[in-house]
Amino acid sequence: MSPLLLRQVIVMDSQSEFHGLAADVLIADGRIQDIALDLSVSDENISVYQASDAATLHLSPGFVDLFADYREPGFEQKETIQSGLQAAARGGFTDVFLLPNTKPVTDGRSGVQYAIRQAKGQAVRLHPLGAVSQGIEGKYLAEMMDMRAMGAIAFSDGWKPIQSSGLMLKALEYVHAFSGIIIQLPIDQSLAVGGLMHESARSTHLGMPGIPTQAESLQVYRDIELLRYSNSKLHITGISAAASVALIRQAKAEGLQLTCSVTPYHLLLTDEALEHYDSAFKVNPPLRSEADRQALIAGLADGTIDCIATHHRPQDWDAKAKEFESAGEGMAIQEIALSLVLQALGDTVKLDRVLDAFSTSPRRIFGMSQVAISKGSPSACTLFSPDALQTFKRESAASLAFNNPFDGQRLPGIIHRIITPKSF
Amino acid sequence: MALSVKHLLGIRELSLDDIHTIFQAADRFKEVLQQPIKKVPALRDTTIANIFFENSTRTRISFELAQKRLSADVVNFSASGSSVSKGETLIDTVHNILAMKVDMVVMRHSSSGAPWFLARHTDAAIINAGDGTNEHPTQALLDAFSMREKLGDLKGRRVAIIGDIMHSRVALSNIYCLGKLGAELMVCGPPTLIPKGIEEMGVRVEYDVRKALQWCEVANVLRIQLERQNKPLFSTLREYALYYGINRDMMQSLEQEVIIMHPGPINRGVELASDVADSSSSIILDQVQNGVAIRMAVVYLLSGTTQA
Repeated sequence: MSPLLLRQVIVMDSQSEFHGLAADVLIADGRIQDIALDLSVSDENISVYQASDAATLHLSPGFVDLFADYREPGFEQKETIQSGLQAAARGGFTDVFLLPNTKPVTDGRSGVQYAIRQAKGQAVRLHPLGAVSQGIEGKYLAEMMDMRAMGAIAFSDGWKPIQSSGLMLKALEYVHAFSGIIIQLPIDQSLAVGGLMHESARSTHLGMPGIPTQAESLQVYRDIELLRYSNSKLHITGISAAASVALIRQAKAEGLQLTCSVTPYHLLLTDEALEHYDSAFKVNPPLRSEADRQALIAGLADGTIDCIATHHRPQDWDAKAKEFESAGEGMAIQEIALSLVLQALGDTVKLDRVLDAFSTSPRRIFGMSQVAISKGSPSACTLFSPDALQTFKRESAASLAFNNPFDGQRLPGIIHRIITPKSF
Repeated sequence: MALSVKHLLGIRELSLDDIHTIFQAADRFKEVLQQPIKKVPALRDTTIANIFFENSTRTRISFELAQKRLSADVVNFSASGSSVSKGETLIDTVHNILAMKVDMVVMRHSSSGAPWFLARHTDAAIINAGDGTNEHPTQALLDAFSMREKLGDLKGRRVAIIGDIMHSRVALSNIYCLGKLGAELMVCGPPTLIPKGIEEMGVRVEYDVRKALQWCEVANVLRIQLERQNKPLFSTLREYALYYGINRDMMQSLEQEVIIMHPGPINRGVELASDVADSSSSIILDQVQNGVAIRMAVVYLLSGTTQA
C-alpha cells in the first residue's frame, strides 16, 4: 500500500487549521501523516492526486449515511452488503448504518455479527442498526443491550416505525441504560394507511389517496413528549413536513436530546413529480409541497435538521415496473446523494453546513470517533469537487438497484474517492 | 376529425375541442343506433381487448356492444380465475395479450394511474374504463352528453354531484368534463367523503343534500360503495339513507325540477329511493343508452390515430 499525496486540495473541516485553504496532504498507514500549504516529498512510491483545471479538489471528513437498506440477507437480488458498500464508497460515504429490515430481521446478536462479517475487508465501514422490537413487529423489545455489545450503533424498526406509544416509551427508557439512541421514521399508520402521496389539492386532482402531514407531525409530537418523559436520546429521520421542522426546532430549544435528518429527495423534489403516476417517485414518507420543501431547506440551514440520511432503498426492476399502488417504495440514491443535495440547495445553504450534515454531525450524535483533516488523525476522508458537473448513468452504477430515477441527469458535484485505511 | 391525444387516460388531458369532437361523433353514432341495422363496418381491421381487473357489468357490456357495432374484433378478459390470480403482473398480462396482435386496450383497474403505466410500457392505444379513485372518462362523457341532450349548452348550468366524492372516479371525471364545458359545480356528501382541497378545482362544497338539490338543475347521484365500509368513513347505511338519500318527498319540496342521474348500479333505498330513480325526472336509462354511442365515438376516434 503506497502512500497517497493529495496536491492542493481545499480542506473542508472547521476543526482544521487549514480550513478553507488549499493544502498538500500526505496519507499513509491509515493516517494523515503530514499536511502543509506546500509539502515537498521525494519518495518515488508515492501516488499523487492532483487537481485538474476543470475541477477543484476538496477534502472533507468522510460522509456518514445513517439510514441505508442493503437488503441482505433475504433480498439479495435488490442489493447486497457488498454492492451497497461499493455504492456508498462512490457516494463519498466512509461509514454506513445498515437498516435491520432484512429477512430474517436484525433483532439479535447473530444478525449484527452477520452484517459485520459480510462487510469485512470493505473500504466503507458498516455499522448495523438493531431492531427495537422483536421481529420488527412493534410488540416486544428486542435484545438491544446484547446487540449494542456486538456492535449495533443505534436502534430502529426502520421502515416499520413503532406505532404503540407504550412500546416507544419503553424502548427510549431501555436504551437510556447505555446512552443508546432510537432512530424513528415518524409515521402514524392509522393516518397514512392506504395513502400513496401527500394529501392536498394535488392528490385530489390526481385521484390518489393521500397521506396528510399530520401522519408525520403527530408522531413527531408524540415522540418528543415521550423523549422528554424518558430523558433519553432520539433521532427522527426522513422528516418531510414543515410542521415537523417547527416541532423539532422548539424541542431542541428546550434542550432535549433530539436530533433529526432529512433525505436528499425531500430536499429536492415535491409532489409535483407525481403528475404522471411514475412509481420512481413513490417514497415513504411521500414527497410533499413546495412550502414543506422550503421549510426543510431552512431547517437544514439553521441546524434544526442535523444530518442528511439517504434512505437508500434498493428495488429491482420488477418491484418498480408496476402500477403505482403495487410498486415498491423508495429510491436507491446513495451514489449521488451529495449531488442531489447540492442541486436542491443551490446557494441557499453554505457548503460548510452541508458537509457538517454529511459528516461531522452524525459522527458527534452517534458517538463515533471524530475525524479531522489534521496531522496524525486517522484517515476517513472524502475527496470531491462540488462545482464540477457529471452525468449520472445507472448502467455504470455500483448499486444493483434499478430505482434511481436520476439516470441521465447532469448534476453538480463529483465524488472522486474516499480515503480510508482499506480503500487503497 | 381526430383527438389531440393518443390514449383516453382521463378527461384531465382532453381539450375542449376533443370533448366536442367526441360529442359530434357520438351524435352520429346515436343515429346509427336508431337504424334497423345498428352496425357500421368502420373497424373491421381492428382488434380490441377489454381487460377488467375489477368487476364490471354495465361498463364492460357497453364497451363490448360499442366495439361490435363498429365491427371490431373483441376479446374479453377479466381478472378473476385468470393468470392474474396466479401472481402474473399487469405488464405481463398486457404484453401477452398484445403479442396476439391487439390494437387497442380498454382497461379497468383498482389502482389510480394504472392506465398511465400501461401507456408508458406498450404501443397500443389505451382507453381507461376506470382506474382506482382517479378517473372514469367515458362515464363523464356520457353524463355530459346526456345533460347536453336535455339542457343544450352546459355553460353556466348548475350540476351537483352527490355521494362518495372521495372514492369516486365518476365524480373526478365529471368535475373535469363539466368544468371544461363551463358548468357550475357543487359536490355534496358527508365531510369524510369529500377529498381535501377540492374547492381549489372551482367546486362548491355542501354537506346538506336538501340545499344541494335546491341549488342545482342536475343532480348526479353516486353509488355509495358498500365495499369501502372497512374504513370508518360514515356510520351506517341507515344513517346515510336518512340524511343523504334522495326520495320523492324531498324532490316534491323543490321549487324547480331537478334532473336525476346515476352512473349505476343503484343501491335502491340508500342513495336513491325507487320512486325517484324510476320517475320522470330521472334520465338514468338515457345515460345507459348514450353510453354505447359515446364509447363508439371514443373507440372510433382513437383507432384512427393508431392506424395513421
